[in-house]
Amino acid sequence: MVSTLLFFGFSILAVAGALGLVLLRHPMNGAMSFIITLISLAGLYALLSAKLIFAIQLIVYAGAIMSLILFIIMFLNIGEKDLPDESGRWLYFIGGAAVITPLAMFLLKVVGRLPAGDTVIVGDGFGSVKGVGTVLFQDWLLPFEVVSILLLVALVGAVVLAGKREGRA
Amino acid sequence: MIANYLSLSVILFCLGLLGVISRRNVFTVFMSIELMLNAANLMFVAVARLYESMDGHVLALMVMAVAAAEAALALAVVILLHKHKGNLDTNVFSLLRG
Amino acid sequence: MEHNVNFLAAIPMLPLVGALILGVLHLLYCKGIRFSEKIYGILACIGPALATVMAVKVYFNLRLFPEETRFMVQEAFTWIQVGEMNISMGFLADPLSSLMLLFVTFIGTLIHVYSVGYMAADENFPKFFSYLNLFLGSMLILVLGNGPVVMFVGWEGVGLCSYLLISYYSTDTENVLAGNKAFIVNRIGDLGFVLGMAFLFWGIGSGGFDYLSLRENAHQLTPAVGLAVCLLLFVGATGKSAQIPLYVWLPDAMAGPTPVSALIHAATMVTAGVYMVARFSFLYVEVPLAGTIVAWTGILTALLAAIFGCFQRDIKKILAYSTVSQLGYMFAGVGVAAYSAGIFHVFTHAFFKALLFLGAGSVIHALHHEQDIWKMGGLKEKMPITYATMLVGALALAGCPLLSGFFSKDEILFMALASGHWGVWLIGLLVAVMTAYYTFRMFFVVFHGTPRDQHAYDAAHESPKVMTVPLIILAVGAAFAGYLNIPSIFGGHLQVSHWLAPSLAEHHPHVSVWVEIIAVLSSIAAFAGGIYIAWKKFGTVSAEEPIYTGLKNFAYHKFFVDELYHYLLVVPYQFFGRTIWKAIEPFVTDGPVKFAVWLYGALAEAFKVVQVGYVRVYAIYMVIGLSVLSVVISRSLNL
Repeated sequence: MVSTLLFFGFSILAVAGALGLVLLRHPMNGAMSFIITLISLAGLYALLSAKLIFAIQLIVYAGAIMSLILFIIMFLNIGEKDLPDESGRWLYFIGGAAVITPLAMFLLKVVGRLPAGDTVIVGDGFGSVKGVGTVLFQDWLLPFEVVSILLLVALVGAVVLAGKREGRA
Repeated sequence: MIANYLSLSVILFCLGLLGVISRRNVFTVFMSIELMLNAANLMFVAVARLYESMDGHVLALMVMAVAAAEAALALAVVILLHKHKGNLDTNVFSLLRG
Repeated sequence: MEHNVNFLAAIPMLPLVGALILGVLHLLYCKGIRFSEKIYGILACIGPALATVMAVKVYFNLRLFPEETRFMVQEAFTWIQVGEMNISMGFLADPLSSLMLLFVTFIGTLIHVYSVGYMAADENFPKFFSYLNLFLGSMLILVLGNGPVVMFVGWEGVGLCSYLLISYYSTDTENVLAGNKAFIVNRIGDLGFVLGMAFLFWGIGSGGFDYLSLRENAHQLTPAVGLAVCLLLFVGATGKSAQIPLYVWLPDAMAGPTPVSALIHAATMVTAGVYMVARFSFLYVEVPLAGTIVAWTGILTALLAAIFGCFQRDIKKILAYSTVSQLGYMFAGVGVAAYSAGIFHVFTHAFFKALLFLGAGSVIHALHHEQDIWKMGGLKEKMPITYATMLVGALALAGCPLLSGFFSKDEILFMALASGHWGVWLIGLLVAVMTAYYTFRMFFVVFHGTPRDQHAYDAAHESPKVMTVPLIILAVGAAFAGYLNIPSIFGGHLQVSHWLAPSLAEHHPHVSVWVEIIAVLSSIAAFAGGIYIAWKKFGTVSAEEPIYTGLKNFAYHKFFVDELYHYLLVVPYQFFGRTIWKAIEPFVTDGPVKFAVWLYGALAEAFKVVQVGYVRVYAIYMVIGLSVLSVVISRSLNL
């Protein structure tokens, strides 16, 4: 009972945040809405017994990534005049909604086809740090290492891209 | 029951798609992409709960790592573009015009 | 019944290989690598000389066989194999082709030797001999071919070489136009030949398309198809051998060098039509009407050409019309079914006409390319050898008793009378008078009397040995070749007719001795009459250059036939071409092409709209695609 209530509460917050992101003009405002979405998603992960993911979501996504985005938004000092002219966006919204609707219907139908039934009650170890760690370092070791290299590449790339350059316009 | 989570994931994904195609502001487009990634994450975790397998969690972790890397690089590019054109409008960059 | 040998193919190959080698040498010559003219001359004459030796060998080989089996065949390779048509590149040596082979190779070699002297200072020396060898090779293929298709290969080859050699002095447009005219008129005749071959194949071709098989199956042809074949093949002959209505190219062909006129347009190529009719004697014998048409066409051509020859002033043109006239005689001969008489006249005519042309060439060479007889005169003392040999040739042409021309021409006229063709005989006699007249008109004006152009006369001298020796050899042939076919009235045995009998389907009519006596006496009278008139007009006095008026002027302008053809055929054809070029082509052929080009351009412009350059828009395209795809999938899965 409580879980259902929580679920609906978090869902509504998530959708509202997403709508805010898409509809609001200033990216700062949009970023704030997005943070609401991220936090409600974290709550949804908790409802799904994904303890580690819930924590990681809050720390990495809402904490690190959004901080970075907010930092850059503030760094660029965006005022009203810097914002692009988006007067025609309602047309695009309606048109886009029209185009995306069939896709959404299709995907919803596919999702509804999954076998229904109550979910099983899982044990304590499900979704815990120990459980995820065991799977990560045993079955998924190679992707783990590859992702580390990916992060290294991203680090180097970011430094190269945004660093000072001599003799370059 | 899980179907609700999956439907929510689809709705968030489509909202993100809507944001990508209809907004011109670079930051909004980027954050809409992140929204789509999150929707995918939600679907991974929900299905992992359904089938009692923690592979979904691991995948969600990978997605988050990739999203972080992508965020760093994309924002570096945004800074460079801002330095170049002084503009945050995606419509300005139209060298691909045929 | 025939014998298979393997050396026949070498006979045409020898001059063809020579042509190839000389062609390569000419390319080197143009690049600056030059040898002495002697080397080119020797290389050029080796092929024909060896071919002559092999022709003699063929003759002696054939003599060893009994009469019914005097055939030697060689099938080199299978050429065309389509359905029922199975044509191989093969060669046939039988009495007829061996006779043709002998004089073609012999006279060909003599003229090659003569040309080494005549073309001495020419700047394209190797090219001339390459073409001349190519011609000889094609003529040998024509003569030795074992079926109409192989003959046609040689037929086309000699036509090509005729064009190449007529327009040899290609820096002058007139010569090139003359070459074009020869080739195009020839082509029109060739159309008739091809149609004739097609009908022949349709009729009896399934039994094999070579002469021996065709001869066996000839009786299977229906009369209508047989007539069509004979007449269509004869159309080809009118083109190649310059009969009415396709003779107009031969006088213009005199624009080529004189040895070319001698070899091609007197001795060999133009006789190919007569050879063809004789080869198909088994067909013409079945359709007498075709023979009559051939004979009348021939004799009328002889008359027309003789009239023209009486008024010409260019020495080569006189000889050209004389050739057309004598060819008319030959066709009259084969038309009245006297095939061996016609071929015998081909044989003797080759000697004395080649002699006359080469002699004319000697005169032209001595006078530095002067060809108008009204600028010559009194060359008797200055060029004795040329004078003597040309006298022999002129007498032979006119039909002087005891020389070759008399025997061959008399045989034709006798056969015409004996087979009942009175009209042909009478016109033939008239033409004989005119032949003697115009021949000696030319002879007396050129060699007797006082020189009309003193400057040219002083510069004249006898030609070098390399040119006079062939003249002498040909004179001997012109004088004595007739003795090979003396009729019984003179105590002979008609050896040539007997030799040719296995190849030809000939029947000798039996008539009383008086018919033959009448024919002989009237021929002698015609010769004497013609010479007497010419002597009176041109021999006794040094004739003045005449001015022609009225009918004579009309004859001098060759009855304006060339102009008639021009306005009747050439001008409308050019108008037709121009109309298509200006009016039809822009719409019919250019129109759709231009429209297609414009259409592509328009479509490209239309599709360019999609390439806006904004990545966002491309993402929208992707989403649209995705949603369409999802609709399609949900439809197909019945979701």
